[in-house]
Amino acid sequence: MSARLDPGRLAYYAFNGAIVFFLLLPIAIIAVFALNPTPYIAFPPVGVSLRWFVKFFSSADFMNSLWLSLRVAVVVVVLATVIGALAALAIARGNLPGARLLTAVFLSPLMLPAILTGLALFQVFMLAGIGRPLWGLVVGHTLLAVPYVLRTTLAVLHDFDRRIEEAAAVLGAPPARVFREVTLPLIRPGVMAGGIFAFIVSFDQFPISLFLVVPNGETLPVVLFNYIRFALALAVVFAFERLIGLRAYVRL
Amino acid sequence: MKAHARAGVSGIAWAIVPAALLFVLFFALPFGVMAALSLLSGNPVSNPNVAFTTRNYARLIDSDLYFDALIATLRIGVVTTALALLIGYPLAHWMARMRSRLGHALLLMAVIAPMLTGIVVRTFAWMTLLADRGVINTTLTWLGFIDKPLPLMYGEFGVVIGLVHIYVPFMVLTLVGVIGRIDPALEEAARNLGAGRLRTFLEVTLPLSLPGILAGSLLVFALAISAYVTPVLLGGGNVLTLPMLIYQQVSASFNLGFAGALGVVLLAVSLMLVVAYNAILGRLSGERRLA
Repeated sequence: MSARLDPGRLAYYAFNGAIVFFLLLPIAIIAVFALNPTPYIAFPPVGVSLRWFVKFFSSADFMNSLWLSLRVAVVVVVLATVIGALAALAIARGNLPGARLLTAVFLSPLMLPAILTGLALFQVFMLAGIGRPLWGLVVGHTLLAVPYVLRTTLAVLHDFDRRIEEAAAVLGAPPARVFREVTLPLIRPGVMAGGIFAFIVSFDQFPISLFLVVPNGETLPVVLFNYIRFALALAVVFAFERLIGLRAYVRL
Repeated sequence: MKAHARAGVSGIAWAIVPAALLFVLFFALPFGVMAALSLLSGNPVSNPNVAFTTRNYARLIDSDLYFDALIATLRIGVVTTALALLIGYPLAHWMARMRSRLGHALLLMAVIAPMLTGIVVRTFAWMTLLADRGVINTTLTWLGFIDKPLPLMYGEFGVVIGLVHIYVPFMVLTLVGVIGRIDPALEEAARNLGAGRLRTFLEVTLPLSLPGILAGSLLVFALAISAYVTPVLLGGGNVLTLPMLIYQQVSASFNLGFAGALGVVLLAVSLMLVVAYNAILGRLSGERRLA
């Protein structure tokens, strides 16, 4: 197990280094352009300025959508962690028939195109005549967030020594107390990891939001997308003149 | 599991109810409605005399435009998945075998950082890199390698680059767990028995990580064929995929029936490929075990 650098090893590290560069380059680029004072893409950058951040935070459109995205994401995190953790407990501990199939069903929103989930929900809401309510958006995001919580919680539950719970029960703790003092603290890392995923999934959710947001009630990704597309229409003059808001968004 | 299976359903099984309700009401039912609408001649709520029809599907097959969009969607999905696997696997392997905790944490950050930046923002970043007057073309011109800008953006190339960047973290995170669980002693044993590094990788590490490859590829493929933002922005009108068509039908034509038919096709295609892929890889690992 020596650390000598033969050609194979060298190629391995060079390739991996290139991959990390590929992953981080766009993020570095966004940071550079966010601080660049010109209103169009100027490369190499000509200076440092915070004007785009000021513009972003003083724009009512961006602030309203940012606020909406945050509120939706918080509600989604709460719903998804509760529903997902409960389902994981039921699957791992409930002796349910077909637990494997149930897991596959609950994970399926990750495998099926999310844009179809958005379309299907939109069609149901239209047929039912309820339009596009905010709770519909929250439900759509929750559907995609639950699988993450379920997966992380199930992973913890599988690695979990059940004898700890049995010991607590043998020592006289009622089931509720075993759950509160033994099970819950042990699965908490899994649930919390799932909750973090749930937040990201909701905050960055695009395909479902695309169908379920109402005009003037759009989430931040949808607003930014429309902003860029609008900018593309004006591309003749300065392709990216209108993209200022984005430069600030990367800091969020 | 075996001992408890006979004990019957326990009380905690009721905890499944919220998730089951959510999925029946807002997942199974909507998909059923989507499939039903695609086979009806109109809106069954507003129009009492709708009839069963297959014209939505006929329209899809008859038109070259829609058929080409389907093929383009699948092509982009396959190429994106292959590239994501090609660059995701080495990185996941490096991460899984990294002994230093700091190094592992730094790599994890490098993988997760792109995920924490929004999809729209990352696509925008690629636009600044790939545009005619973007970073790459400007740099190459300045260095004197090219006279006129390379057409990097506004085509499938740009779309695939953007998609790979967005979805490779999903591949890496899926693979790291699987590769990490492979006992390094197995690799060392192969080395001690005289296998070279490449042979050890091909005959020990790679077969043992097949489940991760399968899971990661399925995830990336599913994400790539349903992408909307990246094909719209980086394709710049030269790329037409099924998700773009679907949204067009809803937003511009308000044709829920045809959108439903497109949706059912996308759904069927992704389900079919998922099953086929599963079968192929299952057989592969079976042969390995027999050999």
